[in-house]
Amino acid sequence: MSFDSPFHVTVDFDTSHMIFPTIIAIILGILFTAILITRGRTILAAITSGPWWPAGIDHIRFFGTLVLTVIYFTAMPTVGDIFPNTGLGFYLCSIPYLFALSTLFLHERTRRTLLIAGANALIAPTIVWYILSELFNISLP
Amino acid sequence: MELLSILTPMFFTLVTAGTVIGIIFGAIPGMTATMAVAVCLPLTYSLGLENGLALLLGLYVGGISGGLVPAILLNIPGTPSSITTTLDGYPMTQNGEGERALKIGITSSLIGGLFSLAALYLFAPALADFAIKFSYIEKFLIIFFALTVMAALSSSLLVGIFSGFLGIFISLIGAYDISRGGNGELRLVPEFLEYYLESGFSLLPVLIGLFGLATILIEAEQGMKEGQSLSGVKIGGKPFKLSIFKGQFVNLFRSSAIGTFVGILPGVGGSAASILAYSQEKNFSKTPEKFGKGEPAGVIASESANNGLTGGALVPLLSLGIPGDSTTAILIGAFTLQGIQVGPLFIGNNPVTWDAMIIAMLVANIVMFLVMVFAIRHLAKVVTVPKNILFPIILMMCVVGAYTINYGVMFDVWTLLIFGLFGYLAHKIRLEIAPFIIGFILGPSAEIYFVKSLESFGTFSIFFTKSWIAGLLWVLIAISIAFSISVARKKNKTENE
Repeated sequence: MSFDSPFHVTVDFDTSHMIFPTIIAIILGILFTAILITRGRTILAAITSGPWWPAGIDHIRFFGTLVLTVIYFTAMPTVGDIFPNTGLGFYLCSIPYLFALSTLFLHERTRRTLLIAGANALIAPTIVWYILSELFNISLP
Repeated sequence: MELLSILTPMFFTLVTAGTVIGIIFGAIPGMTATMAVAVCLPLTYSLGLENGLALLLGLYVGGISGGLVPAILLNIPGTPSSITTTLDGYPMTQNGEGERALKIGITSSLIGGLFSLAALYLFAPALADFAIKFSYIEKFLIIFFALTVMAALSSSLLVGIFSGFLGIFISLIGAYDISRGGNGELRLVPEFLEYYLESGFSLLPVLIGLFGLATILIEAEQGMKEGQSLSGVKIGGKPFKLSIFKGQFVNLFRSSAIGTFVGILPGVGGSAASILAYSQEKNFSKTPEKFGKGEPAGVIASESANNGLTGGALVPLLSLGIPGDSTTAILIGAFTLQGIQVGPLFIGNNPVTWDAMIIAMLVANIVMFLVMVFAIRHLAKVVTVPKNILFPIILMMCVVGAYTINYGVMFDVWTLLIFGLFGYLAHKIRLEIAPFIIGFILGPSAEIYFVKSLESFGTFSIFFTKSWIAGLLWVLIAISIAFSISVARKKNKTENE
């Protein structure tokens, strides 16, 4: 894009894909600076007063959810490659994932609550896998 | 006749199922109508457009309505839009009038929903007819206006606008769409991700991440509090009679109209509608001192307004292609799945789908009323469902949705994780998600409208001089910004005092 006068522009088609992103990036920069100027003190106070993240959060449940989810996402295609086009990667990984997550979220781990978590982990993926993969032929990992 | 072929038992079953599931989502604190629609959207993939919309519209109406259950029984708004329902609903429960409060709320929701549906039916085609005449310039300015309105109603104008522009920026990742006149060149993509990001981030994994995974991460951070107990909550008591609405006609009409109007404004959520309607009713009431202590008029105002939003939010979506709120933003995904673009031509080109949507909304409102009135005692127990059972299932459904949306792309599942983390981070640093989403959805269109206008006219001044509509839109943009600045100043003044 070249400027012929303050308002007049000529758009070069070959580089036209960068016009809008550049303008948006400039506006974002201006807005970010404006936020820093107008709310700088509040932001600084928040940073200096602490406590810093992740203090004050439930570490086990938060990071546990993240770690389990990453393992689940990584394992699905790997297991799926062993049984291609069957959706078993999803099915076989969902059962332990659901059980682990349900147990992680539990506050009182009694025999009864663990049994419910186990049953849920077994039944829910089975139903979803059967309906989607077997009945509707929808591809699953 | 074509419409009759769509109105099958399956259609009505899906509306009913959607409404009931929506009520359940709405009734569980922490889960919203938006989450319900986002999680269930991929299921519509195999249903076809009309049946898919039947399910999603049921979820939308049910999700907004279900929020009143915990608001009234437990003083916890099930959805943000039922926040003002707690103010009088919960005191009514404490006075032993829980069931009465619930039924007042449900009846008000029905009236608000039907009012907004009528508004949708009347206004959307008219607005679409008008918008057909818009050139790229007016279309670009409409998007710009939508962003400024959303930003103006955010907690901070600057942060709201920043969030909207950030959404636009992220939507530009990938190739400049050749099918819409772009040059097909990649931008903003690291080399190692070029294969995955040629078409940018897919909309649905982004939405599912922001509204599904992010919500669960926020709950996990807070320790995944256990489901609430209903023991000690008095649901029965004084019986509900329709005579309670005697003298409430103006309240019902005004609150429903406020809800519908707020819904029409792009990106403004239901909480703004119910807060506005509640405060108006309190201002006009002869007994404002009763508000907050169990006044039925407060429940009526709040619930008729938040359901008034449902039809209103579909007006800009179906006539201009601009979502009225975050839930209708997700509905765009349903159309995208079926390869249909919403905008001024949608109603004219798809009259059967349009009629089916109106019927689905009507049925959803009626089903919502019947289910909630006759099964309220059982539904109320939903608030006690343990989250350790529910949330893992939702996460699994999020994965299914993200994976299946593009016929099995694992990168979409990672997109879900990326935007789940982004949504969590945005919550922590108080970025506004609604403007972000609208920016993300409308960004590619805004780019085409802007660049093509410049290519055609070769001057920036065309955005001001093209037509009187362009001029009017600039006036509206200026008003929305001025309104926001004025509100911010008043807020600062009050805080300083």
